[in-house]
Amino acid sequence: MSENQQNEALQLRLRAALRRVDPGEGFAPGVMARIAAEPARTARPARAGAVAGWLAFGLAASLVLAALLAHEWQARRLEQGREARRQLLEALRVTDEKLNLAYRAVNSQERAASAEHSGA
Amino acid sequence: MLTQALAGERAAFAALVRQHQRAVYSLALRMLSDRHAAEDLAQEVFLQLYRNLSAVSSQAHLAFWLRKVTMHRSIDRLRRAPRLESAAPAELAAAVSETQPADPLLERRLRALVGELPPAARAVVLLRYQEDLDPADIARTLGMPLNTVKSHLRRSLAQLRERLDETAAALI
Amino acid sequence: MSCSRWRWLLAPVATLAASVALAAPPAMLNLPDFDALARKATESVNISLDTSLLGLAAGFLDSSNPDDAATKELIAGLKGIYVRSFTFDQDFAYPSAQVDQVRRQLAAPAWQRLVQVSNSRDRTHVDVYVSVDRGVANGLAIIASEPREFTIVNIVGSIDLAKLHRLEGKFGIPKLDLPPEGRDGKDGKSDK
Repeated sequence: MSENQQNEALQLRLRAALRRVDPGEGFAPGVMARIAAEPARTARPARAGAVAGWLAFGLAASLVLAALLAHEWQARRLEQGREARRQLLEALRVTDEKLNLAYRAVNSQERAASAEHSGA
Repeated sequence: MLTQALAGERAAFAALVRQHQRAVYSLALRMLSDRHAAEDLAQEVFLQLYRNLSAVSSQAHLAFWLRKVTMHRSIDRLRRAPRLESAAPAELAAAVSETQPADPLLERRLRALVGELPPAARAVVLLRYQEDLDPADIARTLGMPLNTVKSHLRRSLAQLRERLDETAAALI
Repeated sequence: MSCSRWRWLLAPVATLAASVALAAPPAMLNLPDFDALARKATESVNISLDTSLLGLAAGFLDSSNPDDAATKELIAGLKGIYVRSFTFDQDFAYPSAQVDQVRRQLAAPAWQRLVQVSNSRDRTHVDVYVSVDRGVANGLAIIASEPREFTIVNIVGSIDLAKLHRLEGKFGIPKLDLPPEGRDGKDGKSDK
């Protein structure tokens, strides 16, 4: 069986082996019992009334625009920072992985040399 | 159902719990390899959902939220109490067999081997093969780079195959 | 957690740092354009984090989280991390010319090869180099070739390998199932 076929077979078996299971009859009642101790939820509050007057409207529109731009800049900065963090972790992962590869190879050589030496 | 739960109807929230409890509990069980810890963690996830329901915008978002919180809590729990990682395969097999009819030996062995993977790799494998998420969704759920997810999948499959071959060889 | 695993690498680094005094070398490699290689690869990783991007990333590490704090500490002395990694669907599908271009840079006096090791069973070959300036290690380079994967890592600045090793298993840094010290390398877990 080729490696691809072996992988396919394994993946099928994994899906079968990792079928979801039920937590048991008491689970949902258990959750609701814990929630019963929580404060009752309230419906979302209604929106505030609209602002009257063209001047006030213009001012509000400017403020909203400024807030949107600032928000967009912040969102972009946030995304850039998160991406930088993701890349950093990936780079550290790869570095450690390759150092471990070297370690394994060195270890394997030492074991082979030791086995040869003791067998001699 | 989600709208009613958002409006504070506990019966609707209970229905949400019943709708998603299998997924949440199964993920916790296979991460923690301990039935009681999994049940406790899964209940905490739903409690957290109850407290933060207004942050959920749709059914799809709800499923994503539940998986994300379950996996992050499980990984945190494993880091705090690594002894959970070394639960004997027999215990996990027994826990699962209580809720399912007799399983083939191979499936039981596979579950045990998945339970022995490191937490991050185990999380990736479960989201892929239990929840059927694609690698991009797994990356979003776990906050992990996509290439890391693919690497975990590749290496975990190789490791599982190797361990299964060892089992087969040992039985001959 | 014991750091004895890294003695094999840390000891030579410490020895070099104590004994070598050179003019300031460029610890940053001039990595070739791997676009053609990336097109052939099934997966590729291309990461270039200079000082400002490292600073940005550090700003998104949560100091109150122990793992994030450890990562912040690890990268505190770094000026850059550059990774090029390619995975292929056939064995040794990557040409050696571009690898040789990088190796030529590592032949400069300031770069000292710490490790050159091959594993004939896995058909892997790994070179690890360190750059030393006035007795201080200020750069690391790794070239790893595996049958279906080829990777170059260049770290500019000082990095504590023992600290990196302690982060194994966190943040998706896989905890590799390596045999513990003193065993014969067989997996100690028994089948039940």
